[in-house]
Amino acid sequence: MSVSSVIRRVAGAWLDGDLLYRFRRSPVAVAAAALGALLVLAALGADLLAPYDAFDPASANAADARLPPGSQGLFGETYALGTDPQGRDMLSAMLYGLRTSLVVGVASVGLAAVMGVLLGLVAGYCGGLIDAIIMRTADVQLGFPAILIALLIDGVTRAVLPREVHERFAMPVLIVAIAASYWVQYARTVRGLVLVERRRDYVLAARVTGVSTPRTLFAHILPNVLGPILVIATINLALAILTESTLSFLGVGLPATQPSLGSLVRIGNEFVFSGDWWISTLPGLLLVLLSLSVNIFGDWLRDALNPKLAQ
Amino acid sequence: MIFVLGRLGQAFLVLLAAALVSFCLFRFVGDPVNNMTGQAASLAEREAMRAALGLADPVVLQFVRFVGKAVHGDFGMSYRFGQPVAGLVLERLPATLELSVVSMLIATGLGLPLGVWTALHRGSRLAQAVLAVSLVGIALPTFLIGIVLILVFSVRLGWLPSFGRGDTIQLGPWSTGLLTGSGLRSLVLPSVTLAVFQLALILRLTRAEMLEVMRTDFIRFARARGLHRGAIQYRHGLRNTLVPVVTIVGLQFGNVFAFSIIVETVFQWPGLGLLVIQAIQFGDIPVLAAYLVLVALCFAVINIAVDLFHLAIDPRIRISGGARGAA
Amino acid sequence: MSALLSVENLRVEIAARDRRLTAIDDISFTIGAGEILGVVGESGAGKSVTGTAILGLLEPPAALAGGRIAFAGRRIDTLDEESMRRLRGKEIAAVFQDPLTSLDPLMTVGEQLVETMLTHLPIKRKEAFARAEDLLRMVGLPAPRERLQAYPHALSGGMRQRVVLALAFCCNPRLIIADEPTTALDVSVQAQILDVLRRMCRENGTAVMLVTHDMGVIAEATDRVAVMYAGRLAEIGPTRALVEEASHPYTRGLMASIPSLTRRRDTLVQIPGAMPRPDAPVSGCAFHPRCPSAEARCRSERPPAFAVEASQVACWLADPARRSVSA
Repeated sequence: MSVSSVIRRVAGAWLDGDLLYRFRRSPVAVAAAALGALLVLAALGADLLAPYDAFDPASANAADARLPPGSQGLFGETYALGTDPQGRDMLSAMLYGLRTSLVVGVASVGLAAVMGVLLGLVAGYCGGLIDAIIMRTADVQLGFPAILIALLIDGVTRAVLPREVHERFAMPVLIVAIAASYWVQYARTVRGLVLVERRRDYVLAARVTGVSTPRTLFAHILPNVLGPILVIATINLALAILTESTLSFLGVGLPATQPSLGSLVRIGNEFVFSGDWWISTLPGLLLVLLSLSVNIFGDWLRDALNPKLAQ
Repeated sequence: MIFVLGRLGQAFLVLLAAALVSFCLFRFVGDPVNNMTGQAASLAEREAMRAALGLADPVVLQFVRFVGKAVHGDFGMSYRFGQPVAGLVLERLPATLELSVVSMLIATGLGLPLGVWTALHRGSRLAQAVLAVSLVGIALPTFLIGIVLILVFSVRLGWLPSFGRGDTIQLGPWSTGLLTGSGLRSLVLPSVTLAVFQLALILRLTRAEMLEVMRTDFIRFARARGLHRGAIQYRHGLRNTLVPVVTIVGLQFGNVFAFSIIVETVFQWPGLGLLVIQAIQFGDIPVLAAYLVLVALCFAVINIAVDLFHLAIDPRIRISGGARGAA
Repeated sequence: MSALLSVENLRVEIAARDRRLTAIDDISFTIGAGEILGVVGESGAGKSVTGTAILGLLEPPAALAGGRIAFAGRRIDTLDEESMRRLRGKEIAAVFQDPLTSLDPLMTVGEQLVETMLTHLPIKRKEAFARAEDLLRMVGLPAPRERLQAYPHALSGGMRQRVVLALAFCCNPRLIIADEPTTALDVSVQAQILDVLRRMCRENGTAVMLVTHDMGVIAEATDRVAVMYAGRLAEIGPTRALVEEASHPYTRGLMASIPSLTRRRDTLVQIPGAMPRPDAPVSGCAFHPRCPSAEARCRSERPPAFAVEASQVACWLADPARRSVSA
């Protein structure tokens, strides 16, 4: 099953099912999707949109530190959303931070989905000991809060790797840590479907005609789980983005050289008491908008794909 | 009885898994000898220490010894503080437990009734509004809620303290902030911050479960029997809703424990969470290991409590458990 | 004998995405006191919707859109919810299809019986319990005293349906709407349940609207039969007349599909084609696409109900004008 055929199937479900109809009928879902799309575009175009390069030390000017929104800089720069303690333009930092948050969120959800689907397929197909090991691990992990697992994985790599090395690999480590804490749901869903499908006649028929069972399962089950996986992924995307920002806020996620929305809030948190509210709340607000748009869309998608609830 | 034993076995498995992970952390992450002796120690000193710590023994034996010690609350010395980990953890535990329990009470006390109410008044504008606000509650990052609450109630209005526990009273080994005015005032912002997400979650889950139950045949049949609306909604609807909701509330307690790390960081609340986040930043593995085991223990205890509750309320489990017990 | 229940031109619509679908239309019939009226038809013909409408339990998106329902000389389709509730379970009781899901799993059989009686009857709890035991005995439940303490899941499907019957009879109703009461049960149990229902009705003078798609049940247990097709009444008349000599081609098809011991056939007769769905209505007589005797008129004009002896038949074949010509 090629990628393009998967895309065609999903697109087909959108166009001929009533998903698109329901989508157009729900102003809230349309608004959430539009906001989400706007944020993604802003993040992708950060290089073009940001007035200043947030990573260029030359653009930071200590004399312009902690200016409130709408201030003029020493050399006549305009800081629409103010500056941070290093004199960086908040707007630019936020755009780049948004990009980092989105990249980590999307990558970790993608990784979690791939891990979960594969482990679920293997567990359901092999059964026996392998199934038991995978699913018991899932059970145990489900008992633990996801954020704790991500925290532990991140904490352990921090203890193992020397500081400079860890800093260089902070983002991949973070992505793996978050993915490892969210794979369980996918695995359970896929395994359940495999167990149902492998008893069906067509699997038997395919085996008789010489097509291997794994291949049959793959070709038939993957399209069936696309709907549920899409829903889980959308809702998990919001969770993953929040987890990343939370870890970065706690100072165990991304280092200061790679600002994400969470680490920007962390920086601002130190200046809350001096009344410099914009350094923490503005990136926070952007984070909330992102999380809210994904959450609302995911909520809508779940209801739309579940006819039992759509009354 | 067999049912309970089965669940106990499962809880034991989780504990064992946590112990294994924390043992691996302890044994293989970083070199314990290096961590304890520092750079200056000679090779001979290191070997002596290694033998003294039992690190030369077979790994399985070491694990058994680790579990044996853990059962007695011995998790070794903190790399950072040079004190026994057990003492550090016990000293911090009351602060975190008080915070978690109070916020869970807030979340359940408001979330459950609101969830029931929004389910029963599905069409009303107010219920729709409550539901929309609850989605915002789900989407808000906890740390941001804390920061905004501090900005508004501590910095702007100056009504409530923004850090620490206030005055505490020592009751035996337990230090409580619940008996002093400043302790209670200090608890308000952190516990509300910690409660917001759980409240929204409990509200939405209760609503979903209640709607599910109100759609069932026995509710339709109860209406056909001409029962009063209150009897249908509460005696039949709510009771059946509570079974899954209590499970969720119980399991969420573990999450509250984890999220207290965030809240304790924002409010500098001197509990376990703050200890753990510092342990992660400093690579203080013994503290991490102890925390992991403690969370697993907490998880096991809650699971058993939830099962006992089910046993008390749900006759289906009671009978099937009994039948299996007799067999 | 004046009718206990009279339904006139009943119409129920279902609000769909952008239009209103007609679930049932122009349904008129009566049930006399103590009479058993069978209602047959394929699934989707509108049998259950009719029963639900009489009970006043239609739920959005379905709603009454016309006609009137009178019970014991009093119009009930316009009653407010509270007055209707007083009627339900007391005067008009219900038995639904699936006994496995009709009872609240968290409440004992006795409690559910007592709860229903205390809602409608001016009796004490103790009397109610005594009556509950009697009722369980009457519906043929072995060891009724012990069964009062049993939870539904501890009973078999057949036993549960007996409990449901006891619940329906507990306030001595004058009418019972029985919606496929035996469909979900084992064949061996079906006859027993039907027996209990019939016996209790005869003893108490209770009338029944027995919804089913089982022609065997109809022939065996009913006084009169209403045949529904695509949301309309095709034919209604005495059971004997319909079984032996139906006028409507659809009824004839249904009767022919009963496997019979007396009339030997090599193959089971089937009516070719499928019933039109509410979202794709058919012009003229809804049965014409499948009717062996359809004419041009059947495609364009909907037949009214013509009286044929004691029956009412909605078919142009029964048009007296036509009959007099051909005679």
